[in-house]
Amino acid sequence: MLVKFKKNVSKGSRFNQVYIPKDMESLIEVGDEVEVRLVKKSVMLHYSKNLKKLTNFKEGLIKDIFSFLNDIGGTNYIFIVGSFLTEKIGYNDIDIAIVADEKHKDFEESLYSKLIERFNLRFHLLLIEENEFNRLLKICPLTKSMLSRFICNKEIKIPEEKYVDNRHIKFLLMMPYDLLEVKLSSRSFFDSIRRLITIEKFLKNKILDIECINEELKKLLTERMYNKIKNNENIEDNSILTLRKIIKSKLSIIERLLKNG
Amino acid sequence: MGKNKDINELTNLMAKALRHKIGSIVNKDELYASKYAKDAESIMAEAEKVLLRQNWNSYDETRIKEQLRIKLQKELEQKDFLDNKKFEIMDSEIEKALKEFDLG
Repeated sequence: MLVKFKKNVSKGSRFNQVYIPKDMESLIEVGDEVEVRLVKKSVMLHYSKNLKKLTNFKEGLIKDIFSFLNDIGGTNYIFIVGSFLTEKIGYNDIDIAIVADEKHKDFEESLYSKLIERFNLRFHLLLIEENEFNRLLKICPLTKSMLSRFICNKEIKIPEEKYVDNRHIKFLLMMPYDLLEVKLSSRSFFDSIRRLITIEKFLKNKILDIECINEELKKLLTERMYNKIKNNENIEDNSILTLRKIIKSKLSIIERLLKNG
Repeated sequence: MGKNKDINELTNLMAKALRHKIGSIVNKDELYASKYAKDAESIMAEAEKVLLRQNWNSYDETRIKEQLRIKLQKELEQKDFLDNKKFEIMDSEIEKALKEFDLG
């Protein structure tokens, strides 16, 4: 006779435990041999500090995403980052950063397709190799600001130490420099100026909290311009001149900071 | 006169776009390399607007290729933070870009 039941593992003072249900006392008795099998891994949400508790709906969706990605396997840490965590409705997509042992383009593309297929939502997926992730946590202002607020599938402490890698910073400055000469979409200006604020804060050893960075950007641009270029609306030539002035000024501050170490 | 100006503008934009594209290929370990590939596409889209202003003959095509090569070489030399493999793939990326624009 097959006797079985499903229960969640509960926390004990010395050992975690599974209780036999009262109505099965006579079926499974002291001395009987039983087998315990993991049926479904529980999903925990680990909040970064500064991040307010999300609604039940968002938490449920993130748990489903974590559970789905856990079942596929090959991922070490899964982070949900970006505007999905901070905006009530003004988010365009769900940003997921995945840390894995190895990075394969095929794996990234396959995960992306599976996510779309399963959830029918817009995702932005970033797959990072674990070694590269640890390096970026020290040298990359954008990675640091991205991880200023997150929900992770495992407990993790983001190290505060930093190292200024001039080559990496210069790589990040390519687009802002180009925008001084090339006229692209207004959203390109938004991204570049936000990037410059982040780099400046990083070089000045300031906290890289994405909300503070957005606030500073709003102050610098005025709220009207902030909303316009965030939404990639068309802007007039004189506005572009103003944005270029801001970029130029930020670039000069950053170059000075890099020069002075 | 208009054509000269457009060739200058076209090759400036293409050189910048290709520098971003080459950067995304040679610095592929960078987390933001894929973002740079997209930046390359948006600058190339601007270049395409200039491309459509004129009908280009084979003489123009030769001039565009020559100017583009000189400008891209200079762009890449200035960006010492991009891996030196950049020069190895420069010519093939120029060929690909010109072909996409029906200029080669």
